[in-house]
Order: sequence, then structure tokens, then C-alpha cells
Amino acid sequence: MDRDRLKIFLNGVTVVAVFLVLFAFSRYGTDYQVRILNNMAIFITLAVSYNLVNGYCGILHLGPNAFVAIGAYTSALLTMTPAEKQMNFIIQPIVWPLNVIEVPFVLSLLAAGLTATLFAFLISFPVFRVRGDYLAIVTLGFGEVVRVLCNALQNVTNGPLGLKGLSPCTNLWWTWGVAVLSIAVISRLIHSSYGRALKAIREDETAARAMGVDPFQHLLLAFLISAFFSGVAGGLLAHLITTISPTLFTFLLTFNLLIMIVVGGLGSTTGAVIGAMLFAWGGEALRIVEKPMDLGFVIIPGIPGMRMVIFSLLLMLVILFARRGIMGRSELNWEVILTRLDRLRRP
Amino acid sequence: MDDFFKLDGITVQFGGLVAVHRFSLHLEEGERVGLIGPNGAGKTTVFNIVSGFLTPGSGKVYWKGNDITGRPVHEITRLGIARTFQNIRLFPDMTVLENVMVSFHHKLRSHFWQAVFGLPSYRREESLLKSEAMTYLEELGLSHLSAERAGSLPYGQQRRLEIARALAIRPGLLLLDEPVAGMNPSETLETAQLILDLQRKYPLTVFLIEHDMKFVMQLCERIKVLDYGHTIAEGTPAEIQQDPLVLKAYLGGACVC
Repeated sequence: MDRDRLKIFLNGVTVVAVFLVLFAFSRYGTDYQVRILNNMAIFITLAVSYNLVNGYCGILHLGPNAFVAIGAYTSALLTMTPAEKQMNFIIQPIVWPLNVIEVPFVLSLLAAGLTATLFAFLISFPVFRVRGDYLAIVTLGFGEVVRVLCNALQNVTNGPLGLKGLSPCTNLWWTWGVAVLSIAVISRLIHSSYGRALKAIREDETAARAMGVDPFQHLLLAFLISAFFSGVAGGLLAHLITTISPTLFTFLLTFNLLIMIVVGGLGSTTGAVIGAMLFAWGGEALRIVEKPMDLGFVIIPGIPGMRMVIFSLLLMLVILFARRGIMGRSELNWEVILTRLDRLRRP
Repeated sequence: MDDFFKLDGITVQFGGLVAVHRFSLHLEEGERVGLIGPNGAGKTTVFNIVSGFLTPGSGKVYWKGNDITGRPVHEITRLGIARTFQNIRLFPDMTVLENVMVSFHHKLRSHFWQAVFGLPSYRREESLLKSEAMTYLEELGLSHLSAERAGSLPYGQQRRLEIARALAIRPGLLLLDEPVAGMNPSETLETAQLILDLQRKYPLTVFLIEHDMKFVMQLCERIKVLDYGHTIAEGTPAEIQQDPLVLKAYLGGACVC
């Protein structure tokens, strides 16, 4: 078996192993564990797709919350039955044609991704006219605009009341299926000639242009792919928590994603996955510190909020000791592992 | 017009400063032409106009008879005008091989989805790119370093890699912005030899900026001298060395060699 075939085989085995673990959890796990796993997969999708723009293109884009919001609302409005919509929209009735449309979950996810992509396409023209801090501010602005629109368009989004009683269609298979798909698509892209062009733009845009790379075309490609997966993840999120409102999609969401990819390592897909997993699991695992503790000689009462203090301390430790995040820019894939093994065999 | 390359009455102003004033240049295919002048004379500005980073206030740029004034940089590169930079601009965190492979990206026929799905057509193209990039690295004696980080190479090899990367564009016109800056005499000699070798192998016209007078005088067939944006002299190295205006403006009255 040659190297390429072996890698494909090992990747297949990894995916099967992941789904066996998921199967075990869906059978024997508690609701709480399943919920954490679902969150984890959605965060992985979001972090990996956000990392494509921020890590590989070196663009400080601060508006992924807009894509998630658009995805969540699109998919929610498409799966709700006309009767449910009527019950939800008590202040102003919902506009046509949204009041009569009802599509299956899978189509609504696709629509969520495509709507987010369309929005990304429209804003890309002003966004990519600038770079650096200015780009950060423009994208931050678009993120806020979307949130404000969600609040204001009473007859489309139901304004601050949000949408309630969505059917809980999201399950482990959907969330992890999308997560694996996004990792596969994005890492394939990164390891192709297109990925090299993106990295070249990150390293030195002037030189990349002088080598015949059109920055706008390539940044747009990355931006649209990232928006698509963020939109789909938004749709999954909406049908996981079954209630959405504009407050869910504030800048805090972007900020959390930024923490995940910085801790994991900007410009590393593996890093984004690790960051997202730590964030989803760590936030729950740290709940112990808020419980009353009996150390034998002294009893510490539970301090609400202690979790966040410990969390920020851990973040500082990561940044102090691993300045470029846990993974830096390196990846952990079968190629790396096989190369290491080869070296061990022939010292 | 079947000129190879022509700059016609280029003027560039930055605010009140005239960086380049009515600069004209005509290049024949296969020539080696040098552009010299004191610091701030406008040499790099001329390069930036040729490669498209700047659009001149007035004047035209012609490439093989077509007007290319104001075209975007990446389009001009694709037409066959490649350049290196005065302060090295590699992609430091990518490998040496990847640096060269970026130059081939614009020739890629496969769409991104073909790359994502790893279709055979894309994989064939990718392995072709890799082997072609390796031939350019071998040409410049860098093939043993192909897996190194470009940013970790020593200075002289970084300069060579920049030339390899520009060469991979397969340019008709190669612009070298101070190719031997910071090199010792033996490295300078090697670079001169390298440029001659490359011209023998590829149909290459070389236009270069350099402060190293010995290098320019030995290598270039024709030299233009700029001072404060004005062309003050033009001719063969021997003529330039005798030109009183050049001696006065550029060398402060001292002898050239």
C-alpha cells in the first residue's frame, strides 16, 4: 500500500472510530453528555471555518456572528410550520412567502449555508477594499448590523422576542457529520494550490500579487466557504437549543470563536479543533470549582462565577507558555504521524 | 508597434514631489539594461510602474505593443513581467518549494472544488507543478533545501530563492531590484554569472537596479542614470563612466572605478 492510500485508509478508520464513540454515547450517554458533544461539534465547525479566514488568510475578520445569525434564522424560519409561525409572531404577522413555506431540516440547513454565503458575497466588496485593523472594524460593523436587523425586522425575525419552539432536529449525527465535512473540505483546500495562494497572501500580499495571485479572488473564496459552514452551523445551533433570539448572536460569540482559534493556534485546523473541544468541554468541566468543597480542614462554599476566573487564568497560561497557541501553525495529521514513525524506525 | 517593451513619457508625482519626470525607456528582447542613480532618484518608482504597483500620473507602458498602463499587478505578472524586491519579500513561513509553487498557481486549470475533491485531473496538475518547481530550484542550486522554511535560509540563498520564484513565472522581462545588495564580492560575481547563465537558457530580458557599480558595468549592455526623477544620461557602460553629468550628480566628481 503506498503512502497516499494508507493515509486515506487511516482517515477513514479515524472517522469510523469517531462515529463508533458517538454511537456509544447516543446509546448509553446521558442527555448532558450528548448535549456537550453536540455543542462541541458545532463549535468545531465554527472554529475551523473561522480559522480558514483568520488563520490561513491572516485577515482579522470579526463578523462570524453575522453568518451564524443569518444561518440560524434562515433555517429556523424554513422548518417552522405555518401554525407555529402564527403563534410566534404575535406583534406583527410574518411576511409572505415565509408564512407558508415549510421545508425539511436538511434543505433548511443548505439554505442557511447559502444565505450566509450570499450575505458574505455582498459584504465582501467593501470588506476587502481595506486591510488590517480597518477590515476588522468593517466586519465588526457588519456583524452588529445583522444583529440590529434581527432586532428590528419584526415581521421577518420576530424582533427581540425571537423564535421559540423549533423542532429539535439536531442530533449527534448531524452535528458531527457537518463537523467532519467542514474539516475535510477545509483541510483539502488548505493543502491544495489554492491553500498555498492563501498562505502566500497571509505571508506577504505584495509579493503574492507580484507572483500572479489575485488577492480579492482568493480571499473571497475563503470568505465564502467560511460563511457557508458558519451558516450551516447556525442552523444546527438553532435546532439544538430550539429557541433563538438576537441576543444569542452578539459580538460575544465572535469573541469566543476568536479565543478558540487563538488558543488552538491561528493557522492550524488541528488547533481550531482542539480549541473548540477544550472550550466546549472545559466550560462544563470547570463547574466543579463552583461547587462547595470540603478539603477536610476547611470547607469552601461554592462561588458562582469562579469558573470564569479559572478559565481566564488558564487562557493566560496558554498564551504565556505557548505564544502561538497549542498547535502553532503545525498540524497533527497522519502524514505527520507516519513521518515521525518512519524516523523512529530508522534512527 | 511591435516593440518588446516601452515606457513612454512616464511622470509620477507624490503630492508636490515629482518622483519620476518624463521617463522613457525602450527595451529590446534579450537585453540587459541597468538603472542607476543616487538614493531617492526614483529607480524603485520606475520598477513599481513597470510591475503595476503604481499607476503613472501621465505616460504609457507598452508590453509587446499593447498598452498595459494601470493594469493590476497580478495581470501584468501573468503577461510575463516578473520582479524581485529590494528588501527580500519571500513567504517566510512556507517551505522553499512552496514559495516557488505559488508562482505556478495562476496557471492552474483546476477549479477549487476539483482540488477539494482531489480529482485525478487536479492531482496530475499538482504533481506536475511540484516537479517543475523542483527544476527551477535545481537551476539555482537550492533543490537540497526544498523542505526548509524559506525564512530560515541565509541571506544569499533567500536572494536566490526570490530569483527562482520570479523565474517560475516564466517571464519575458525580469526586473531585479538590487539583486546583489549586501553580498560580498564573490557572491556578487556568482550572481552575475547566474544571470548570464539564465539568459542563455531562457528567453529573458533583464532590467535591473543596482548600486554596485562594478556589477552593473560588467553585466549591463546599456545603462540609464536617474537623478531627482530626471534621466541625466543613457548609454553603454563606457559612455556612462565618462559622462560629466553622471560624475557630478552621482559620484560627486570622483572616478567610477
